Amino acid sequence: MSTQKLKEIITKVLPDVETVICWQEGFDKLNVTPIFITSPEQVEKVVWNAACAQNLASYLPSQKKKVAVVVKGCDSRTVIQYMQEGLIDKDNVVVIGMPCKGIISKKKVQKAINNEPVEEVTYTDDSIKVKTPSGEKTIAIKDVWPSKCATCQYPTPIIADHLAADAIQSDKPADSVYADIAELEAKTLEERWAYFSSQFDKCIRCYACRNACPMCVCQDSCIAETRDPHWITQRMNFDEKLMFHMIHSLHLAGRCVECGECERVCPMEIPVAKLKKKINKEMKELFDYTPGVNPEDKPPMFVFNVDEAKIKEHKL
Amino acid sequence: MSEVAAKELRIVGFLCNWCSYGGADTAGVGRFKQPTDLRIIRVPCSGRVDPMFVVRALITGADGVLVSGCHPRDCHYTDGNFYARRRLEMLKRLLPFLGIDDRRFHYTWVSASEGARWQQVVTDFTTRLHTLGPLHKK
Amino acid sequence: MADKGYLPKEKIKEFVEALGKDAAVYAPSLEGDTIIFRQYSPDKEIALDRPANTPPKGAIYPQSETLFSFEFKKDQATPQKMDVELKADLDFPKAVVFGGRPCDARGFTVIDRVFINPEASDPYYERRRENTTIITKCCNGPYAGCFCVGVGGGPASREGSDVVMTEVDGGYYMEAVTDKGKAAMSLPMVQDGASYEAKAKEANDRATAAVRNPFAQSAEKVNAELFDSADFWDKVIAKCVSCGACTFLCPTCYCFNITDEQGIMTGERVRSWDSCMFQHFTLETSGHNPRPIKNKRFRNRVGHKFYYYPEKYEGAIACTGCGRCIRYCPVSVDISEIVGYLRDPKADPAQWAAEKKDAKN
Repeated sequence: MSTQKLKEIITKVLPDVETVICWQEGFDKLNVTPIFITSPEQVEKVVWNAACAQNLASYLPSQKKKVAVVVKGCDSRTVIQYMQEGLIDKDNVVVIGMPCKGIISKKKVQKAINNEPVEEVTYTDDSIKVKTPSGEKTIAIKDVWPSKCATCQYPTPIIADHLAADAIQSDKPADSVYADIAELEAKTLEERWAYFSSQFDKCIRCYACRNACPMCVCQDSCIAETRDPHWITQRMNFDEKLMFHMIHSLHLAGRCVECGECERVCPMEIPVAKLKKKINKEMKELFDYTPGVNPEDKPPMFVFNVDEAKIKEHKL
Repeated sequence: MSEVAAKELRIVGFLCNWCSYGGADTAGVGRFKQPTDLRIIRVPCSGRVDPMFVVRALITGADGVLVSGCHPRDCHYTDGNFYARRRLEMLKRLLPFLGIDDRRFHYTWVSASEGARWQQVVTDFTTRLHTLGPLHKK
Repeated sequence: MADKGYLPKEKIKEFVEALGKDAAVYAPSLEGDTIIFRQYSPDKEIALDRPANTPPKGAIYPQSETLFSFEFKKDQATPQKMDVELKADLDFPKAVVFGGRPCDARGFTVIDRVFINPEASDPYYERRRENTTIITKCCNGPYAGCFCVGVGGGPASREGSDVVMTEVDGGYYMEAVTDKGKAAMSLPMVQDGASYEAKAKEANDRATAAVRNPFAQSAEKVNAELFDSADFWDKVIAKCVSCGACTFLCPTCYCFNITDEQGIMTGERVRSWDSCMFQHFTLETSGHNPRPIKNKRFRNRVGHKFYYYPEKYEGAIACTGCGRCIRYCPVSVDISEIVGYLRDPKADPAQWAAEKKDAKN
């Protein structure tokens, strides 16, 4: 089983690094939580199952010493994007890749079990069995996975020093990635405005999306909190909420690796990633650029061409 | 500040110091007649225009935003407007997705000598916005 | 006026609308998959089947509120002179918080101790609190992460509520806790409920037994030595991403920031929730920051709720165990686990320090 293999790799890697960042069981069986392994005894706590949603690569830029990190296919794009932007020194990072067939969205599972407390969860390759006070329920992972899994192009980490299981090929069509964006694009301007206003109006400005975002590297220096410049007020109205989400989206233009952390962590279930995905779709069209797939690439907003093949002058 | 006349719209223009601001000046010196809805903010270079300037302006009350810089290859700082072009094009494509009509945002290039072109840009953009009407319903 | 009543489920909307006749009613509204406390209007769908994503704290203590507005006025006679005109509006309408949970209602009692006291009361909070009737729905059972029984509450706790209702037989058994509650129950939709009392008690006992108590085996007091151990916090909080979800979702967090949001000649002094998890929370004007790293910030959050606050307010804990900070934490940080370590009678700071790996050769 791949958990065993994962533990073996971690044990092997541990002497050469300060910490190995992995997952362990959380407060209930439906939750995992990151563990920073520094001693061999901790390796036993390691888990690998469909609940391992957190993108652990996000911790890399804040690490000062050599570390190892366990990544899924989607998370590995974060590592590559960090390399593109010079945010990590790859020599100081050991990447342990975990090929993945899809993870669960906790929110969707909770809905499927009527928000009952979870007593026990058994994970198999493509389903989970959840025990609640009212009985047991088996749920197929594909029925409760986040939308990113439904269109996953990179089930196997693109970059990895060790692989903890056999590589998997994606069986999802490449043009499905932006299907949700195309669906919104088909609506009218007014419909989209109504949709986004009702969504962003739920925001409580807790900044979970920002802090969980691997590419939001400003963190404590974010302009959403500074008073000078005063980009945004502390008032709790829709304009300010929208402004914050525009800050987040625009600063991620051509950098978002679509790990879905922003949406996963949002306590108000706002589809935070939609704007970023839209920008990515345009980046693909304009500059044939996909974030986080090739360490040699440069993010499109970091560079330019004197003659832009696809940017046409706009007429009035 | 004088009261904004009822029929006038609020249009914010970010103009680079070296070309477009000069172009607007040329238009003024040449006494070309222009609509008065535009309020100009001078910036050192179109590369200084963070797309968030545009967003903030639209959110806080502008009905339209115009960005104008030096023609590509003519940037005073060599490549500021090349970066601007990518950023502004990205924004131009994002705004309608959010539900804001992208016709309310225009970016273009006007050199310091093109007073007549500047007059044309301002007139056309203002006319377009008057057809669209105000963005914010009071 | 009866203090025991029964409200059939189909009368909920009618009841809320009647309450809304002379008050702003804040009720848990379903928006997509999210339940948010919003001021009720007929287009809103009231959701009582699970606790709301956010507590109703904002109904009495808004996330941002204008303390006063100001306007600078030039004196025509002496142009150098500038006058400032201040305007404050403390005329708050009557309000009802309908459908919160016992943990939510208890949250207000935690804030009360700080904002309503003889030394210095906060007029904004105090007046809103006086004007608000709190009608609470008891929980049928626990939800992910919650632990109210571990902090002195329970799924049928009455603390902070004016009316408590328990789900029985296709409706709600209601019991008035205060006179304000009795007044609310005098509305005609509320039927006589005495016959449901036993059933409701049974349901509440069942729910209480089902809630976990993470502190059953632990001492009351926090181990001060472990609390001060940087190694301990390094270990337990390494994963925290420093967002404010835990504090903004908390029914008891009351820390705020005050900012002047100013135009040219006019502006407002705004009070808004702040979060001790943010780096700016303790940033001083000089640039010095006593809590520059997340370990210190998290230590403050736990300390405030389970250490300093109880010391100041006769042992009362500033946590109602609603479980939101656990349930919605991006990385599943479990505050009950951390407090469990701190209250462990066998807690040994040296052990936490030792577990840290020594420098590799």
